[in-house]
Parts: sequence; structure tokens; C-alpha cells
Amino acid sequence: MLETFNFRVILEYMPLYLQCFTATLWLSAVSLIGALSVGIVACAMRLSQSRIVSRISGIYIESIRSTPLLAQLYFFYFGLPSLGIRLPEAVTGILALTLNSGAYYAEIIRAGIQAIPYGQIEAGIASGLNYFQRMRFIVLPQALGLTIKPMLGQAIVLVKDSSLLSLISIMELTRAGQLLTSDRFMPAEGFLTTAAFYLVVYYILKSISGWSEKRLIFREAH
Amino acid sequence: MISFKNVNKWFGDLHVLNNINLEVEKGEVVVVCGPSGSGKSTLIRCINRLEPIQEGELIVDDMKVHDKKTNMTQIRAEIGFIFQSFNLYPHMTALGNVTIAPIKVRKVKKEEAEKLGQQTLERVGLGGKAGAYPAQLSGGQQQRVAIARGLCMRPKIMLFDEPTSALDPEMINEVLDVMVDLAKEGMTMIVVTHEMGFAREVAKRVVFMDEGQIIEIAPPEKFFTKPKSDRAKLFLSKILTH
Repeated sequence: MLETFNFRVILEYMPLYLQCFTATLWLSAVSLIGALSVGIVACAMRLSQSRIVSRISGIYIESIRSTPLLAQLYFFYFGLPSLGIRLPEAVTGILALTLNSGAYYAEIIRAGIQAIPYGQIEAGIASGLNYFQRMRFIVLPQALGLTIKPMLGQAIVLVKDSSLLSLISIMELTRAGQLLTSDRFMPAEGFLTTAAFYLVVYYILKSISGWSEKRLIFREAH
Repeated sequence: MISFKNVNKWFGDLHVLNNINLEVEKGEVVVVCGPSGSGKSTLIRCINRLEPIQEGELIVDDMKVHDKKTNMTQIRAEIGFIFQSFNLYPHMTALGNVTIAPIKVRKVKKEEAEKLGQQTLERVGLGGKAGAYPAQLSGGQQQRVAIARGLCMRPKIMLFDEPTSALDPEMINEVLDVMVDLAKEGMTMIVVTHEMGFAREVAKRVVFMDEGQIIEIAPPEKFFTKPKSDRAKLFLSKILTH
């Protein structure tokens, strides 16, 4: 089997792969920053005292989590222009990834915050700490430790999900595999190379996750 | 110091505080007891508005707690509250736990707060545990840190919500000893507890509650030996049989 595996063509396409790898990295990075921001806002809204504000955020989170990313992506790519909103492909892709992961981040952050026993918050209230002080000094430092792993897990999902952007003709890693397949009819070479690059990103994020577990999770065991 | 006038509170249909009238003077120690669900925890949780009241007047240190416009931060800083389950912050050391509110609410300088924190931990017998995290401390030690956390705000009033109920028997006394010292120093205290020894030693009055009402208020000796109401007799017979 391996005799037929063409390493030379992979080398030949390496500049394209590196270019596309860079694209996947920056598309993911921008979407990740966007998703974290959206997630923080959506979570704050979800936990709001105001029913309406909480409900709006709830509808957003539920509708994203209950529908496939591909459908969402197609809605932004085909649907928005038909409504008269035209965006560049990269913007459309980043928008879809941001809003999609944002909903998951909102839930991850909410789980972290709600995992802090209410008694500690009452202790903070009783000693006169205001809402922001309670969040800043009691809730968030513990919630960060609890959520760092799921947050990095979602970042890994986001990077892998960015492969769907190939379907709206954005040049990124999966698209590079498709090109090698269609130009030379070498799908094995094409997609294995693509997979190898995703693996690199995965291992980088995974090692950050392992490191953070040792450093950031609060010292319960001491 | 603390004055309840015709205070009422409901949780849905449940009338948790039914026309409460109670005056607590400065320096007085009052023990509140009664069967579970009688509203005794709710009574003291209203004093710093961990629970809001719905009717009546509640005045603490000349401030109107029943008035929604009252700035509670100021009143809460004057009231130490001790919970049954300690509620220490697990990501902070004992010293961190006792200094956070003085630094953030009272705006005391960090070095000063730490000096005060260390002194207060020594006062509750935990001078050597300043650097320990709550998980490294026993239940009794954690509750003493919680008391120190309250005291570091130099409060005028200390409220205790069943402070020894979650403790193993051999740790109850170390916490009660600290509370007795506090009482003898003239702290105004309301203590929800069934510890009769504590009540006899330092309480001026015992308040007996049932079904949201104050049934009986009497000096401890009188209450424990000759309770007037049938409900108090029944309650005492139950807690005294063991």
C-alpha cells in the first residue's frame, strides 16, 4: 500500500499547506477571541436578574446548540446575502464559528460560576462585598480553575470545526486537501497531510491544557 | 441595637416569620432555639438582609433594614455572620479569608489588615494556621477561622446560625469557647443553637420559636427548667432525651 503513497507530491504542495495552515490558525484564533467575548456576554446575560435579558441569551444559546454548525454556516453564507447582507467569505466564516462556539463558551462559563457553592457568595454578601467584588475575588478565581479544561476542549473543537469553512471556499487546511485531491486525484496524501496539521494544533492545545491543570486549578489537595 | 416590630415574612404560602417582636440591647446575648423549620435561621438572616422581610419594621443600629433604600453594605460591615457550614473561601488561606473584607470593604491597607488578621487568628487560637487553606483545617478550626473573618471587620453585632451543628462532637467546645469569650467581652450576639450549656453560661434570654412565631422568651435557667408553653416542653423533652 505504502509503495503507492506519494510523498513527493506532499512536498510539492507543502507551500500551499503551510499557507492554509496559517489561515486555519488565524481564522481559529480570531474566532476563539470572538467566541470567548460572546460567551462571557451571553453568560452574563443568561445569569441576569432581568427575565427578558436572560431569555434572549437563552434563545441564542439553545438555537445554536440545537442546530448543526454546517446549517448555521450555510445560513450566513447563502441566507444573509438573500436578505441583502453581503459579507466577505472570511468574515462569514469567522462569524459562524464565533457565534457557534460563543454559545458553548457561555454554557461552560455558566457551569463554572454555578459550581461555586452559594454559601460562599452569601458569606461575601454578609461581609459587605459588592457584586463585582464577589465575582472578582470569590467566584471567578475558582471558576477559572474549574473551566480551563473544558474551555481548551472547546478551543480544540473550534479548530476542527473550522474545516467546514472549506465548504464556503475559504482557503484553509481541509481546502488544501481537497485541492490536492482534485488536482492530482490523491485523496489519501491530501487528507492525511491535512489531518497531520490538525494533529499539531491539537497537541499544542492539549499540552497547554495539561500544564494549566497543574498550575491554575486551585489548590484543593494541599 | 436590633429591633423587630411586627415583622412578617412569607416563602410563597409558608408564613416563615409571623408577627415577630423582639428587642436586643447592646451587649446582650440572645439564644434562639426551636424545632427545625421554625424560622429561627430566617429570623437572623433578615437582620443583615440575606433575606428581605415583607412587612413590619426592622431597625439595626439605628438603620432601617426594612427600607429598600437603605445601603446595606454599611450595615453588613457592622455585622459578623457565622454560618452552619462555615462557607470559607477554599482558594484563599486562612489569612486571606479574614483579610479580604477589611481590605475591600473597609479599605484597610493590606499590611495593616494582615496584622489585624494575624492577631484575630491568634485570638481564636489559630495563630499558627494563617497560611493554611480551609481544606487543611478541621471543621472546628474552619469555624474558628469563620469567626475570625467576622471579627476582623470589628463588628458591633455577631450573628451565629447553628455554628456547631455541622461539627463533630469533640470540636464543638473549641468553637463554643471562642463564642463564650466574645460574649464576656460584651459583644452583642444572637445565636441560633441548641447548646444549652452555652445558653446557660452566657445568654441573657432564650427565644423559643415554632412555626414562625416567638412562643416564649425567658432567661435560660427558667426556660430550660420551667418552660411555660406546651410546645417548649415538648421540644425540650425531645432534645433532652439523648
